Amino acid sequence: MLHRRQLATLLAAPLLLPAGARAQPTSTPKPGGELSFGLDGAAVSSFVLDPHDSGFAPHNRVFRSIYDSLVVLLPDQNVGPWLATAWEISPDRRSYTFTLRRGVTFHDGTPFNAAAVKANLDRVADAQSRPLTALPDIGPYAGSEVLAEDRVRIDLHRPFEPLLRNLSKTTLGIISPAALAKHGAAIAQNPVGTGPFRFVSLVQGVEIVLERNPDYRWAPPTAAHEGPAYLQRLVFRNVPEEATRVAALQSRQVHAADGIPPQNIAALRSASGFRLVEKELLNLNYTLYLNLNKAPWDDEDVRRAFRLSLDLDALVRVVYLGTLPRAWAPVSPSIFASAEKELRGSWKPDLAEAIRILDAKGWRPGAGGIREKDGKRLTVSFADTQGNREKRLDVIQFARRQVARAGFDLSIDSQPNSTYRQKLASGDYDLSGASQFAPDPDVLARLHLPDQRVASSVAKTNDPEISRWLTEGQQEGDPEKRADLYNRTQRRLIEKTYAIPVYVLPYTIGITTQVNGLSIDSHGFPEFHGVWLNA
Amino acid sequence: MPSHASFLLRRGLSSVLVIIGTVTLVFLILYWLPGDPAELVAGENATRESVARIRVLLGTDRPLWIQYLAYVGDLARGDLGTSFATQEPVSLRLWAQFPATLGLTLLASAVAIVAGIGFGILAAVNHGNWVDHAIQNVMLFLTSMPSFWLGILLILLFSVTLQWLPAIGSGSLAQLVLPVACLGLIAAGRLMRMVRDSVLDVLQEPFVTTLRAKGLPERLVLFRHVLRNALIPVITLFGIIVGELLSGTVVVESLFARQGIGRLLVDALSMKDIPVIQGAVLLASISYVLINLVVDLSYARIDPRLRVEG
Repeated sequence: MLHRRQLATLLAAPLLLPAGARAQPTSTPKPGGELSFGLDGAAVSSFVLDPHDSGFAPHNRVFRSIYDSLVVLLPDQNVGPWLATAWEISPDRRSYTFTLRRGVTFHDGTPFNAAAVKANLDRVADAQSRPLTALPDIGPYAGSEVLAEDRVRIDLHRPFEPLLRNLSKTTLGIISPAALAKHGAAIAQNPVGTGPFRFVSLVQGVEIVLERNPDYRWAPPTAAHEGPAYLQRLVFRNVPEEATRVAALQSRQVHAADGIPPQNIAALRSASGFRLVEKELLNLNYTLYLNLNKAPWDDEDVRRAFRLSLDLDALVRVVYLGTLPRAWAPVSPSIFASAEKELRGSWKPDLAEAIRILDAKGWRPGAGGIREKDGKRLTVSFADTQGNREKRLDVIQFARRQVARAGFDLSIDSQPNSTYRQKLASGDYDLSGASQFAPDPDVLARLHLPDQRVASSVAKTNDPEISRWLTEGQQEGDPEKRADLYNRTQRRLIEKTYAIPVYVLPYTIGITTQVNGLSIDSHGFPEFHGVWLNA
Repeated sequence: MPSHASFLLRRGLSSVLVIIGTVTLVFLILYWLPGDPAELVAGENATRESVARIRVLLGTDRPLWIQYLAYVGDLARGDLGTSFATQEPVSLRLWAQFPATLGLTLLASAVAIVAGIGFGILAAVNHGNWVDHAIQNVMLFLTSMPSFWLGILLILLFSVTLQWLPAIGSGSLAQLVLPVACLGLIAAGRLMRMVRDSVLDVLQEPFVTTLRAKGLPERLVLFRHVLRNALIPVITLFGIIVGELLSGTVVVESLFARQGIGRLLVDALSMKDIPVIQGAVLLASISYVLINLVVDLSYARIDPRLRVEG
């Protein structure tokens, strides 16, 4: 039997050193003060501060300060101890026994223990209520058993290897069971966790106010110090408009702002008084998905011709002004088993070849240079609901001009969320794009495994080999074999042109030089525990 | 005055009809838009059964006309319903956002009136000289500006460069200055042109020449006689402009990171949160109808000739 407890300690020990070294401050951290953070939170008017029920990245960036997780994701993509100090996995890999840290309390004063872990996971699994966003994170969860005050066993119907990494996600942050019982669904406006900051108040859509948790003693091994946060108050202010957000930072109305647009990145780097903190977001890269159930994409050659007519290097360089790299693999480079290295340079734009394929397939140039076959025009409708977030519509506009040279007519079909999802579910679209933050390559199964994806999935892949690899990947206990399964999956997605990855997103925070110790965790979410302000 | 009372009654009735019409129209449009609210509420991982259960919970499984009657019935009792997305009463969600939007709209209207009428008169009495040209050019510049662009320029100048005013948030008066200026100045530009043209027209009328010939001071001619006659078309335009200001808050609230009905509405639309959309539209249409009622009544105050006929 594998002694995971020892392994966890082994993994954690060397980490304490570099973490300590990284934290060596030029001067001593100064406690106190209020940090105001300009959050790229989109035009939402209701904050959902329920970690189990939000896949919305901006809100997950807030969760990390309020909620802790059982385990922490380490820079090497393994997991280390946090609220759980050690764990053992049964030989059949269907049971995980966690030993929990003692002396941890929730913000409401109730103790964190085995019953709390069970209550949280049971809540996520509860099929009686509306399914929560975190449901796929626990996979084939069968139940939990409280073995002792500080020992809990999680049982699965079948092995589910992504579980440990998923437990490190904000979406499986541990909520106070007492607060859950007290507030019910209103927990989303009254969050209670064990994190370094506790909730004070919120103004819907505008700001979230947190204050220091003075009892905090259980920071993960990745943190610079174990004790309470330095900041007295932490205020997230939702500034959806990027120009306003950058202006608020430049005029120092906020100490920090995220989602810095490319046109301001160079300026902030060179401006005195400001710094830029950035790190790759662990992400299913922003990818264009072709609706494989529908002509013309049911023909692999036409899909290939479409991609050959795209020059992604030029496109990404022009739209993002060289501030981020283009993507070759579906999952971002730092994720375990990303095929970024294997896929780099795997195809080149070739307009002449694209034209040759389309000619051979009987698509002849028609009016306005758009190709036609049997009276049908070669039109491609791009379904969209997010507007120009991360300049994604600029990407499509640019692509539109590139593919027009080969005779494709690419149009943008912008719809409200409800209509968009209806269109994806009914298959009434040709092309769409999406990204999804995740620490484990198993996120691919949510798109490309037919029986594990939702009806409104942006991907319609139905490839027996990919299905087999993704199913095996959830159950394969050997990391090397597991990596190979995901690597093959990604290579096949590209080889068959089922999906076209576009760019790798770095999460970017602009800060004033008054801010010290701001870090980004291994998932790519901001950490405020070590932050302190100059006078 | 019976005629005045019947005028009020008729205007009141037609206002109620306008509101009912608006609510009905929005209800039908929302119903016919594709997308099932239950699926959106249920979320990505929902099973078919849980979507069906939520549909029953929301009441969207019932035939259209029953949903409509239930909605109108609740409305008559003052119940705006429950938000699909957050399960909070719609009235609470609206009330949390409305004061911010109301404050913004009223102050922007005040800026529009003061600046629009003031500069309009100034331009008219300086007809043809450099003051007139300067005012006209500035106002043309303002009215040609989309609000998001003028807003960004205001932020760059007053918040980033001069650092006089905050660019974001709602709550304090200082935080209102830039958004109010942004909305108010654009509306002022349109009012100013109307005031200027209207005052110039009236100044050409024979009765003005008579008043001047009588030796009445120019100040009295202008403010007691000319302005009163010139204001009628301006007030009509003002009723329309307030409606535009209300809808303009959708953009301005997002730009200046403020609370407000505009943002609530955009959010609710993307979630197909029908009760919230209905509530926000109802609130906006009531405000609009009320303002135009006030506008109609003020005609009578300003011009006695309009008092009896109505």
